[in-house]
Amino acid sequence: MRIRTRRGVAAAAAGLLTLGLVACSEEPTKAEDLSGSRVGAMAEYGLGDQFKATEPLSFTALYNNHPFYPLKNDWMFWSELTKRTNVKIEPVAVPLSDYEQKRSLLIGAGDAPMIIPKTYHPAEDAFVASGAILPVSDYLDLLPNLKDKIAKWHLEPEINELRQSDGKYYLLPGMLEKPTHDYSLAVRADILEELNLQIPKTWDELHTVLKAMKARYPSSYPFSDRWSKPNPGGSLLSILGASYGLKAGWSYQHAHWDPAARKFDYTGATDQYKQMLQYLNKLVAEGLLDPESFTQTDDAARQKLANGKSFVIGANAQTLVNENRPDLKSTLPKARLVRIPLPVGPAGEINPASRLENGIMISTKALQSKNFVAMMQFIDWLWYSDAGQEFAKWGVEGTTYTKDAAGKRTLTADVDIFGLNPKATKHLQKDFGFYNGVFAAYGGNVDLVQSFSSPEEKEFQKVMSARQPVVVAPPHPFTDEEREQATLWESSLKDHVVQNSLRFILGQRPLTEWDAYVAELKAKNSDKYVELANKAYERFQ
Amino acid sequence: MVTSTRGERAFRAVNAVVLTAVVFVTLYPFVTIVARSLSDESYLIAGKVNLVPRGFDLTAYKLVMSDAMFWTNYRNTVVYTVVATFIAIVLTTCYAYVLSKPRLRGRGALVGVAVFTMFFSGGLIPNYVLITSLGMKNTIWAVVLPNAINVFNLLVMKAFFESLPVELEEAAAVDGLSTYGTLLRIVLPLSKAVIATMVLFYAVTYWNSWFTAFLYMDRQELFPVTVYLRNLIAGATGAQDAGGVADADAVQAAATLQAVTIVLTTLPILAVYPFIQRYFVSGVMLGAVKG
Repeated sequence: MRIRTRRGVAAAAAGLLTLGLVACSEEPTKAEDLSGSRVGAMAEYGLGDQFKATEPLSFTALYNNHPFYPLKNDWMFWSELTKRTNVKIEPVAVPLSDYEQKRSLLIGAGDAPMIIPKTYHPAEDAFVASGAILPVSDYLDLLPNLKDKIAKWHLEPEINELRQSDGKYYLLPGMLEKPTHDYSLAVRADILEELNLQIPKTWDELHTVLKAMKARYPSSYPFSDRWSKPNPGGSLLSILGASYGLKAGWSYQHAHWDPAARKFDYTGATDQYKQMLQYLNKLVAEGLLDPESFTQTDDAARQKLANGKSFVIGANAQTLVNENRPDLKSTLPKARLVRIPLPVGPAGEINPASRLENGIMISTKALQSKNFVAMMQFIDWLWYSDAGQEFAKWGVEGTTYTKDAAGKRTLTADVDIFGLNPKATKHLQKDFGFYNGVFAAYGGNVDLVQSFSSPEEKEFQKVMSARQPVVVAPPHPFTDEEREQATLWESSLKDHVVQNSLRFILGQRPLTEWDAYVAELKAKNSDKYVELANKAYERFQ
Repeated sequence: MVTSTRGERAFRAVNAVVLTAVVFVTLYPFVTIVARSLSDESYLIAGKVNLVPRGFDLTAYKLVMSDAMFWTNYRNTVVYTVVATFIAIVLTTCYAYVLSKPRLRGRGALVGVAVFTMFFSGGLIPNYVLITSLGMKNTIWAVVLPNAINVFNLLVMKAFFESLPVELEEAAAVDGLSTYGTLLRIVLPLSKAVIATMVLFYAVTYWNSWFTAFLYMDRQELFPVTVYLRNLIAGATGAQDAGGVADADAVQAAATLQAVTIVLTTLPILAVYPFIQRYFVSGVMLGAVKG
């Protein structure tokens, strides 16, 4: 041990000497000197430049293999990428079903590929302490397009959420210009017409609508929801919670930011949370919301809607078009189903979606590579430049798509995706490898994000993006020790919140016991948790 | 014909009822899956398919069978299962035979080493590092060598060998057979029942296993069909994955596709049972030792 320490001191001393020599010209903020890592990198790589390595390079990358468009080595994506950038990607194919597990294993065993895409915050937290992934915020100078987009789209508050207690972040974020909110409710428009009702704009109006439906069809539960496995009411609590200004359901977060008081309180113990449960309890008590909504499988909920036993269901753009509508077409051909903009609640007209998408981790090993700088430039081009994003999503102009003078892209006649060209013989994802979800993330500017959307979906997003983006909670990164402690508290707290939320909603526990419930949360350290969050927040300021 | 007492008749009746119920419970999921695989998707959505296919439709079978990767993975499963079972049987038999001899010195320690692994293991990451540094990653050996000796199976086999009459082997020795000769010519032919059982245990385990291959394989053309199946089901149900958007047609076919893949994956191993069952006969040893 002692020898190693001495050597460390010597190295540090040597480092200081070198630093002293170059201090005039170089900023000493960089974690390491990168002059030995520039092989293959472009000397001048800036905003909007096409990246092309000066010699053929190859990088390993984790690949999330989707069963619908499984990885093929002869995809045009690979060959064209190499042609444009001189870089070959060596994918480590991991089945989508168990991507997270293999990722943890590879990182834990020190066998991770250099580029680890498709990582959703806060999954990277677990790897920070081990030092296996790179604090990418130290290397932003290598990523001009990324920096530009953060500045241009004013994403600093969102990026701050990614910061760890050392003030750095370890995930290259996926970013959207405008939040894209997807989950809402689908309502049988033909029933609304039959009852002479308008599409509900608020949750209160939804209550009225459901009541009218129940009055007309007393044997039905007008609203039977899906997405309850493994989180009971995961989606419903999440979107309803958002309308109350909370992160609930499957987006549950323990610490809730109170902008008025400028401090955190405990989500499951807030007044808003109570009001939200009261609302759902009312729906259940009046027989408007199917109590099985919180336990049934998606298929069961689908079948109820398809058989006309319910008229309202949770939906996103895909389930509406791919599942519910085709279901209804075969069972109730006259039914008309529409996805309504997220109903408005006490929090006002907000868009709860985050502007961050899945991001990329970089293995620390990559730093030792002589091609490190080239790799970062390559990542910046492929994931963050407009040209790279367009390439990864749409493919090659003239081959997979054409672009008119106004910049509107159209798939070529023989290429299909999402049924846009139903008669085409080739598929953009399956046969060309574009929009594969790994290299083409879901971020980008509004034009690109919505470029495959139907007019109906664009209309939905237009309504949603006219609303205020949700206020981002200020960063409050825990230290390693704090996080360990917090994690211990979190699991029992969350269990208690979930369990009791259901009991309150289903009427198994009267809401008059709310104070007792809050006391139970305190006994499970909810107040200590909040204290920890507030402490971390103040420390970070 | 011995007339049976009332009690025996009652026992038989209860037995028949209980066993029929067990058969039903066991068969029901299989039959449902088969029915689903042959049905038209719209009947599945409406929840109308139980035991009989509705709207007979073979498109899903054609779809699955036309996927080259399915057959590649299928072939892998067959190869992995055959090779792994063979290795496992050879190693388990040798180890169990040795352990069954009371005169073996250090027998307790050898049993202890095996049993120890039943309760303690190195854990996921050390195992991964071990396999990787042995250079077995992305090779068949990563699947067929670790866990080649299942300790439970080992103990069952050891007990079986211990129950073989010592006199048989003594007679063989008198007639001039070596240790290996005794094992191959006398003991193994008498152990068909236990070996058949072990083949079945091992083969079913390897056929169904997906985790080892998932851990140690980086390329999809090396995966067994179980990984393919698992990914297919996860991909079709991943609601939160916006990237998992599929065409309307493809998602429509998903429920039947899953059923088809399950049927195709289960059938071969089901077919093995009847052939092995005939070895499960009692009384192999009857009359082996006289006097």
